[in-house]
Amino acid sequence: MVLTQLLLNSLIIGGLYALVAAGFSLIYSTNKFMHFAHGTSVVAGGYFLYAFYSLNHFPFWLAVITTLFCTALLGAGMYKIIYEPLQKRKASNVILLIASIGILILFQNIIQLIFGASIQTISIQSNTTYTILGAAITQLQIIIISISILLYFILTWMMYHTTLGKHMRAVADNPGLAKIIGIDPKKIALWSFILGATLAGIAGILIGLEQNLEPSMGTGLMIKGFTGAVIGGVESVGGAVLGSYILGAAENFGVWYLPSGYKDGIAFILLFLFLLLKPSGLFGIRKGAKQ
Amino acid sequence: MILPYIIHLLIFISIYTILTVSLNLTLGFTGMLNLGHIAFFGIGAYTSTLLVMNGVPYIIAFLAAGIIAGIFGYLLVYAVRKLKGDYLALATLGFSFVMTTLFLNWSSLTRGPLGIPGIPRPEIFGFIIKTPPAYLLFVAVIAIIICIICWRITTSSFGTLLTAVRDDQLGLQVLGKNVFLLKAKAMILSACFAGIAGSLFAHYLSFIDPGSFTLTEIILVFTIVIVGGIASIKGSIIATFVIILLPELLRFLALPSAILGPLRQVLYALLLLIILLYRPRGLYGRIDLE
Repeated sequence: MVLTQLLLNSLIIGGLYALVAAGFSLIYSTNKFMHFAHGTSVVAGGYFLYAFYSLNHFPFWLAVITTLFCTALLGAGMYKIIYEPLQKRKASNVILLIASIGILILFQNIIQLIFGASIQTISIQSNTTYTILGAAITQLQIIIISISILLYFILTWMMYHTTLGKHMRAVADNPGLAKIIGIDPKKIALWSFILGATLAGIAGILIGLEQNLEPSMGTGLMIKGFTGAVIGGVESVGGAVLGSYILGAAENFGVWYLPSGYKDGIAFILLFLFLLLKPSGLFGIRKGAKQ
Repeated sequence: MILPYIIHLLIFISIYTILTVSLNLTLGFTGMLNLGHIAFFGIGAYTSTLLVMNGVPYIIAFLAAGIIAGIFGYLLVYAVRKLKGDYLALATLGFSFVMTTLFLNWSSLTRGPLGIPGIPRPEIFGFIIKTPPAYLLFVAVIAIIICIICWRITTSSFGTLLTAVRDDQLGLQVLGKNVFLLKAKAMILSACFAGIAGSLFAHYLSFIDPGSFTLTEIILVFTIVIVGGIASIKGSIIATFVIILLPELLRFLALPSAILGPLRQVLYALLLLIILLYRPRGLYGRIDLE
């Protein structure tokens, strides 16, 4: 009974992490730098839904669609205003990483200025609880698990069977060669930011509904998503999703043995160990720590 | 009314000068992207506080803050010796997070999120540095000594070797120099100074909690170093003055503190992004950040 509950909790939290990690990894694969501000896109997703649905009483589905549109726009804006000029100047990955932390702090505080530092909740009408093999799970949690698994298959299919996906893989693999055969890497980079930010929006909506919203939650979420991505291999979207489930399981089963305060510590220790010992991740192919 | 406020600001500027100048040793001169600097600051603050609260004389606690931070500096540089570029940045950031988690969760030692109140003012050979002006004098003298040490290091032949770690590691190896040892020395010194800054910080505020050593604080220190310019000690010192004083102008707008705090962070983040976009070398930098 405890075991099934832990397993279900691992799937729920792993699914949320996977949504964060997938977008991050998608952006990383074509741009080759750590977009740390991805965490802020997730939080912004949650707050957009809060603003449209809870404050302005949009119908739920309209609120969801506007939220996804706004987060996509936010992602595109970050790329166009900050990253593209920096890349044009041939700024190194490190500069882009520092810039992305700057963006993270910027938006975290803008959100705090607009909505205040206190915790906000988005309340929805019905959330029935089911019991599976003695373990409790809510309707929303079933939706979270389904969406994250569904998105994994959609993303994998998209990467291999659509023109955009194929172009993305080409740019991820060899940007120079991709350019020669007429693919514009900048356009692909922009598209991966739009797609990645939309994924962040979906993650933000689900996190906003499942947990509470807090302006400063972006950093923590980013660490979790990033750790998931590193465990699986930063460059592979599929790996990042699987890595996130592993992280979710490690946290939930770890807390079974450790005091719950150390839940976050588990992620950091896994992150640190993987960065030191196996930076390419479990399913990553290339790109070690040494360039 | 205005004088205590100015003294308070100058004490903060002195503490941050130590932090930024020492970060410039690793980040600027040696070219190691060290996002763990704030953790050493925290380690120093907690070490000094816990020792003094348990009856150890201040002067020993003060030195221990530097030494323990230096030891952690060596452990970190040893752990990440094979990493470069953004992976190094993230591993050091991970180290910062691990330390924050420890500060938060090792409640029996650090009282966790409650923090430690009632940290006494420094007592050196029976003389208690009690008033803010006296504390300013104490902090300023230490800051000046550390700046002079850093300046002497960077203008010495050892300093030239450090810049070679940043610019030409292969050349160093050809000359038979031990690159790891040079990196380790720079990191230990830098961590040690950050630890000392932590001690000064804790005994000035008389209260510490894990919130003072988080990602947001790293960004402030990073912004100062980047605005001042990579590998420029003069730049770091001037930028510390500018960036600590700049948001103080907001105070004259008489905004509520719930707005003032985030607004200050917005200002720092914007400044960092603008510098990165339009003046990547900062005020006095001579080289680009790798």
